[in-house]
Amino acid sequence: MKLRIAHLYPDLLNLYGDIGNMTTLKKRCEWRDISVQIDPIYGNEKISFTDYDLVFLGGGSDREQLLVRDKLIKMKKELTAYVNDGGVLAAVCGGYQLLGSYYKLENETIEGLEILNIQTEVGKTRLISDVVIENEQFGTIVGFENHGGRTYINEHTPLGKVLYGSGNNGTDGNEGVIYKNVIATYLHGSLLPKNPKLADHIIKLMLEQRGLPSELKPLDDTIENNAHQYIIDRFVKK
Amino acid sequence: MRKIIAIWTAKLASRFAKLLGKNGSSMPGTIALKICPDILSRMCNDIEKDIIAVWGTNGKTTTNNMIYTVLDNGKNRIVCNKVGSNMLSGVAAAFISYSTLSGKVKADYACLEMDEAYARIILQYLTPTKIVITNLFRDQMDRYGEIDTTISYIQKALDKAENAVLILNGDDPLTASLGKNYKNTVYYGISKNLGLNLNETREGRYCRFCGTELKYDFYQYGQLGMYRCEKCGFKRPKPQYDGENITIGDHVSFDVNSTHVDLPCKGVYNIYNALAAFALADSCGMDKEEIAEGLERYKGQTGRMEEFHIGGKLVVFNLAKNPAGFNQSIGNIISEKRTKDVIIGINDNDPDGNDVSWLWDVDFEKLNNDTIKSYTAAGIRAKDMGVRFKYCDIDETKITVCDDMKQNIINAVKGEGECVYIVVNYTLLFSTKKILSELEGEL
Repeated sequence: MKLRIAHLYPDLLNLYGDIGNMTTLKKRCEWRDISVQIDPIYGNEKISFTDYDLVFLGGGSDREQLLVRDKLIKMKKELTAYVNDGGVLAAVCGGYQLLGSYYKLENETIEGLEILNIQTEVGKTRLISDVVIENEQFGTIVGFENHGGRTYINEHTPLGKVLYGSGNNGTDGNEGVIYKNVIATYLHGSLLPKNPKLADHIIKLMLEQRGLPSELKPLDDTIENNAHQYIIDRFVKK
Repeated sequence: MRKIIAIWTAKLASRFAKLLGKNGSSMPGTIALKICPDILSRMCNDIEKDIIAVWGTNGKTTTNNMIYTVLDNGKNRIVCNKVGSNMLSGVAAAFISYSTLSGKVKADYACLEMDEAYARIILQYLTPTKIVITNLFRDQMDRYGEIDTTISYIQKALDKAENAVLILNGDDPLTASLGKNYKNTVYYGISKNLGLNLNETREGRYCRFCGTELKYDFYQYGQLGMYRCEKCGFKRPKPQYDGENITIGDHVSFDVNSTHVDLPCKGVYNIYNALAAFALADSCGMDKEEIAEGLERYKGQTGRMEEFHIGGKLVVFNLAKNPAGFNQSIGNIISEKRTKDVIIGINDNDPDGNDVSWLWDVDFEKLNNDTIKSYTAAGIRAKDMGVRFKYCDIDETKITVCDDMKQNIINAVKGEGECVYIVVNYTLLFSTKKILSELEGEL
C-alpha cells in the first residue's frame, strides 16, 4: 500500500516554502510505516487525478499563477469531478485563489476553476503577517500570509476564524475555506510543519478515501507543538 | 548652513554612539536626513570620478568591499558604506563620516552598496555613473512581495540612471534581462560548467520577456547557468569578463582576460563577486595586474567564513540571508572533513524578513551526515529551525532548540566535534560576532 500525492507544478508554484508541506506529509507517513510517493507534476500533460490520494497546489507570483491557470483550466472538468467524489485537495495562497470563480486584477479579470464559489479582488496593499486562526476541530492553526488579493467566500465554511492577522480579506474575520475534502488557505509558513494536527487530518482523509483504516499511530510532536505555541504566545493576547 | 548643522550633529552623535559601544552604522545618517533631507544630493557633487552603486540579493557587501579594496591603491580617495548599511541613511552616513566639518567630500570614488528596494529612493538624490548588479535570488519576500516586485523597483531605479554603465551577471537570467534596453552594458560570467550539482530552489526559470520556460545546458548554482529562450531568442549574453581555469578549494582562483587572480577566500560565489569587481575596476581604467593585486589583498568581513579559536577549537562563522546563501554555507560545512557541531541561528526582524517559510526551501537535508555531532537551532525563530532539523530525519537526541546564543556556543565548543560551524542570518550577525570575540578572549 502506498499513498500517492500529486504536487502540482512545483516549478511555478513554490513561492512560500510549499515544499515543506510535502516534506511534512511524507515524514509523518514514513514515521508510521505508511509509504508515500510524491509526484511533482510539470509540463502540459493531462493529469489523471483519480490516481492520487492528494492533489496539492502551492502559491506563486501573479505571472506564474496565470501560467498554472492556463494549464488547469483544460482539466477543469476532471479536477471538479475529483473534488465532487471526495478527492483530497489542499491549496495554499495562489492555489487557493485559483479554485474560485475569478481573480480580479486592476486591468484584467482572471477566470478561475470554479471549484469553490469564492471571488478574489486585488486590494491596494498586500496583507503580510503572521497569522493565528481557530478551527473547531483542529484548534488553533498558525502560519504566515502574504497576499494582495481579498477573497470573499460567500456561503462556504471558513477553515478558521482569525485570531491574529488578516485572513481572507482583512474585514470579515474568515480565513480559508473547508469544503468536502478541500482545504484551501492563505497560510503558508510552511503550513503543515507547525500544524501537526492538520497534517494528520489530511493523512487520515487520504487513507479514508482509499478505504483503509485511518487510525494513526501517535507521534511525539513536542518540537512541532513548541513552535506552534510560540506563535500563539507571541501574537495572540491572552 | 542646514547641511553643516546636519553634518556636525551627525558626527557628534556618531562619536557618542562609539563611546557607548553601539554599532549604529546608519544612525548618523538618520539624524542628518532629519535635519537636511537632501543632504546626499548636496554632498555627492564633489565626487571627482565615479559614483558606483552595487545592487543584488547576494554578495552586495562582499562585491562592494572588493571594489573598495581594488580602488584603494594609495592613489584614490573613496567614500564607501563598508559595513553593509545600505538604505538611504546608511549611504548618507558614509558621506558624512568622510566629509570635512565644512561639508566638503573630497573623493575620487563613491562605492555604495544599496538595498535593491531602496535604490529607487536613493537615486532621487544621487545618480550613479556605474551600477553593478550581482544576482537576484529569492530574498526577504515579505518585505517586497515577490521577486517580480523587486525587479520592478530595480527597473524604476535604472530609469533614473540611463547613462550609467551597467555591469551585470550574465549567468543570471533575471539580472541579465535588465540589460536589454540599455546602451552601456557589460556582462560577466563563467562559461564552463563547474559541475557543482547542487539541488536547490531555482528562481525565474521562465523568460521575463515571453513567459516561456528557459532551456538550460547547465546550472552553476541557483538559477545561474547557460540558458536560452527558444521562443523569443533571449539568451545568456556572451560575457566580456569570463572566469576561466577555475580552481575551488580552501581558496579560489581564476583567470579573466588573461589575468590570473588568487582570492584569499573560499566559495564559488566569490568568483562571481570578484569578476564583478574586476569588470568594474577595468571600466575605471585601472591596470589589470593592479586589479588582481587588489583582489588578493581583499579581506573578508564579519560573518563571511570568519574564523575564531575558542577553548582550543576552530569556530567558523558565516552569514547567510536567504536560501541561496544557506545552501552555499551548507556546502562549506559538508566539505569540511573534520567532525563538527553545527549551530543555525534564525531571526525574523525586519531586516531578516518576518516570514521564515524559506527555511523549507533550503537543502538542510544535506546536513544529515555522520560528521555532524550535534545540531543547535538558535535565534528568535529557534523553534521553527528545530522543526526544520527534525524533518531532515536528524536524530532528535542530537537536536537542541535554544535562543541563548552564548550558551549555545559554549555547549558547541564543549561538544564531541573537532570544530564548530555557526551560520546565522542578518540581525544575528553582530551580536553573535560580539559573543565570539568575547569568548575567544575568555576560554
